[in-house]
Amino acid sequence: MAVINYVAELDVEPCTGCNLCDIVCPSNAITMTARKAAIDPDLCIGCGRCVDRCPEDIMWMARRETPLTITVAPDEAVEAQTVALLDKAGIDLNVSVCVCTLTPASEIARAIVKGAKDLEEVSAATGMRSGCGIYCVAPALRLLEAAGADMTPPKGYRWYPLTTSLWDISEEARRRYPDAFIDEDRKVFDPDGKYRPLHEDSAR
Amino acid sequence: MSPLAPAQLPPAFMPSDYGPELRPHVAALPGMTSISVGDLFSGFGPAITDGASVDRDAIRHAARAALANVDMSKLTADDSVNILASEHGFGLMGGWPYAEMVKTIREVVLERTPCRRINLRLAIYRGFKEADEVSEHFGFEEAFEGKVKGLGPFDPGVKVDTAIGPMYLVKRAFDATRFIHAYYDDPREMYFNRLLYKSFKSFCMSYARFETRSVYHSLFGNRSGSIIPRALFDSDFLQQRYAFSSVLRTSPMGVTGIDASNDLYGIDKRITASHLATYGRMQRLFAEIKDCVAVWDGGRWGYYLHSGGLIFGTLLTNHHDSFDLDVPVVAGFMQQPGAPVNFSRNKALRGIVVNQAWVGAGIPYVTMPFTSPMYIVGDEQARLWREDSTNPLLMDRATTVPTVEDGIAVAMEKGQTDKVIVFDGSYGHITCNAAMADFLKAHAAQVDEEVGTTLLPKWLAQRGLA
Repeated sequence: MAVINYVAELDVEPCTGCNLCDIVCPSNAITMTARKAAIDPDLCIGCGRCVDRCPEDIMWMARRETPLTITVAPDEAVEAQTVALLDKAGIDLNVSVCVCTLTPASEIARAIVKGAKDLEEVSAATGMRSGCGIYCVAPALRLLEAAGADMTPPKGYRWYPLTTSLWDISEEARRRYPDAFIDEDRKVFDPDGKYRPLHEDSAR
Repeated sequence: MSPLAPAQLPPAFMPSDYGPELRPHVAALPGMTSISVGDLFSGFGPAITDGASVDRDAIRHAARAALANVDMSKLTADDSVNILASEHGFGLMGGWPYAEMVKTIREVVLERTPCRRINLRLAIYRGFKEADEVSEHFGFEEAFEGKVKGLGPFDPGVKVDTAIGPMYLVKRAFDATRFIHAYYDDPREMYFNRLLYKSFKSFCMSYARFETRSVYHSLFGNRSGSIIPRALFDSDFLQQRYAFSSVLRTSPMGVTGIDASNDLYGIDKRITASHLATYGRMQRLFAEIKDCVAVWDGGRWGYYLHSGGLIFGTLLTNHHDSFDLDVPVVAGFMQQPGAPVNFSRNKALRGIVVNQAWVGAGIPYVTMPFTSPMYIVGDEQARLWREDSTNPLLMDRATTVPTVEDGIAVAMEKGQTDKVIVFDGSYGHITCNAAMADFLKAHAAQVDEEVGTTLLPKWLAQRGLA
């Protein structure tokens, strides 16, 4: 669960339509119309990245009159599907995927089971990426890929489809880097040996 | 108690939009002193500078001496070259030693090669204005004749095929035909990197897109993650562009020299062996502390502020021995199976007083006040923390105090401790109070012996360096 206290706002008139705010927005809250940015407050998760990025310094964060609470509760997705998705991705359900909001992997998975189709929809549904926007990305992308989502990256450079994990390292790579603790860490993080590579062509 | 000598002031640091207004240093408060790292561990070699006063000529001389042995024949008249610098280097001892090394690299390349298109690429963490601040403060625009650009994790990426599959780097870092890895050797987050091929870490962090950084931190353990930067460095994409490396060498005493070579693996072995002997002793000395209050009093993010050359994050996590590779998990986001969040913290840390530091700005401290009470000095600084989206829960648990003296007093009282250690960017000494100084002096000899006879041989053997 994330409680969002702030929302991005801007002075539209001097906006040059450079699109840089849109590209760094994690939740699709910014759209460009006639070369002017527009912010959907219902989608803004308050990360502030657009404000920092704006080269014209015409954006700011305003405190919301009422905080926006966003979460995907356990009863909003079928638990068996959620657990199956996490197992397929090789991610422990309890791990905090977003270390800023402490959103657990189980909630990210629930958002996807419930219907989120891309990284932006997952962010808008859970509030992940409302903080640093960095460390949570790969587990969320991996869960999306495990769910069969379209991993074609969006136009521009919002995100790239990178999901490589400990479970995907090939035998050949392990031979090349024998001191990389791949086998040792697999035993630590998957003592029951239930996790597999995400793709068949990744030899374990 | 020792007779109290006045504390040394730490190196001056760069002002920034990402931090609060600068305040007077804790070192200037009554009751504070400095304990010399050399007095704790007499075996540590001397430093060129500890940052208090930087002899720029000495840094330049060391850089030129090290670069003299480097093969620069790859840099031809047809080439362009990016000198890749990383933001943390500018947080070491005020940043000037690293800045001088970077500038000297350019000068030597100009002198020794026909390459004339020499660019500086400043890899920053997250704030889009960080690079401009660094460039202005250290005079890089002038030194590089305007050929300076910043780069960060949200900038356009480039796909790189590696032995472990594709990864994404930041395109601007590699928009020249060659690059020079201009690095620093601070062991920094030893609880993540474990001193396993640390010299390569920039290739999956500073120079990398956020997806690659996330894979490193969140989809591998903190031992196995070491495969990612090596796979990137060894990739055809990077090897075709790689010219050489130049690394600012440090110990807890300060800057000890510069190591430059075409062979980054060789540099890494030298750094690792040296660091285990020096930073390893300091790390274990900090682990002896059973109760203390820590104060943040510097110009970068709190985790990365130094005391005696070790970052605060080390104190936060050194209830585990980060260098012992038999310990599978020290910290990290993948965490222990079944643990909702890594609450594991050094219980000796009884309180954290924030006199001044960059507000989160992309660095999550969310779980810290769950286990270590935090005291934020001043309403204005508290407001900045409250507005920080990276740490939305922090001010729910942290306490605002009017002055740093009040913060230290209440933290000591509630934490039932008489010891205070200050993370203010210091190398060569530790800013602390008398009780902490006496404690460290009383325990250093035993730590020196234990590391020398037991731990160091083990750490070296675990890395094939015995």
